[in-house]
Amino acid sequence: MADDIVFELLHSEIINYVLENSKTSNGSKEVDLSLVEYIGFAAGYKIMERLTREWPRFKDELDTMKFICTDFWTCIYKKQIDNLRTNHQGVYVLQDNAFRFLTNFSNSQQYLEFAPRYVAYTCGLIRGGLANLCINSVVTAEVQSMPSCKFHIHVQRT
Amino acid sequence: MAVCVAVIGKDNSPLYIGGVGNDTNTDNELSRQWLVHTALDALEERLATTNTNTANSASNASRTDLRDLYLGLLYSTDTHKIYGYVTNTRIKLVLVTSSTSPSGSNIRDAEVRTALRRLHALYADAICNPFHLPGEQITSSKFDRQVKNLLLNNV
Repeated sequence: MADDIVFELLHSEIINYVLENSKTSNGSKEVDLSLVEYIGFAAGYKIMERLTREWPRFKDELDTMKFICTDFWTCIYKKQIDNLRTNHQGVYVLQDNAFRFLTNFSNSQQYLEFAPRYVAYTCGLIRGGLANLCINSVVTAEVQSMPSCKFHIHVQRT
Repeated sequence: MAVCVAVIGKDNSPLYIGGVGNDTNTDNELSRQWLVHTALDALEERLATTNTNTANSASNASRTDLRDLYLGLLYSTDTHKIYGYVTNTRIKLVLVTSSTSPSGSNIRDAEVRTALRRLHALYADAICNPFHLPGEQITSSKFDRQVKNLLLNNV
């Protein structure tokens, strides 16, 4: 599908651009992905208003997470989350066995060190979506073997 | 006949208040704000009961009803009726109709529901404007125009 590839290419270009910028600004080898995460946050925040328009009111937090795993993910990545786990105390783990931004790479360990760059945007996307639904959270990602990715959501209670 | 609509943010700060008809002049600004804010308590009460009812897992029929985004008539004064709608993102949409005008006294619930659904669609579009920051007042003149059109044509 042509419209999918546009999003994928734009995403990788944003990452290249941000990496290039952070290289010139401080010269160190540390990569600063907070800008990518913020771009994701803004996009997630805005998209949520549209997605939940035809949806009945959410019962609770778990209901909201199910929405993220099914409709939200389908809208962006054309598939559902493969596995959702929770400890019922505000920690949720979303596992995607074939994360779209990673499926184009080799399945071996070759590019494993670069994987964090390609999940930062999605972390922001989830965080922004939840923030608009009044759930403050910290989202981190973990890639152990190449196309599969786990997103950890820690809900911040005040 | 609808006289006023308002978009209220997550923290109960007004994002947009607009009136139509002979109610548009700035003299009525205060009375519009007052009308809209009278409804907020009733609105939050509805939301609170929704949450407790679902926790106690009340009968299925009433639960699906309460999970509806449209909350119906919230409050009525001698001259006005106030209807509410709360989105999943805790944005409150309030519509005020005049009950004194001949066309306003027999306004149907379904009409208000469609008007508020359309307003929600307009709001979602306004949010996607890259110049709009979340939580700020909506200053887009396009949104203003669309809302006024909606009120003049549909309710």
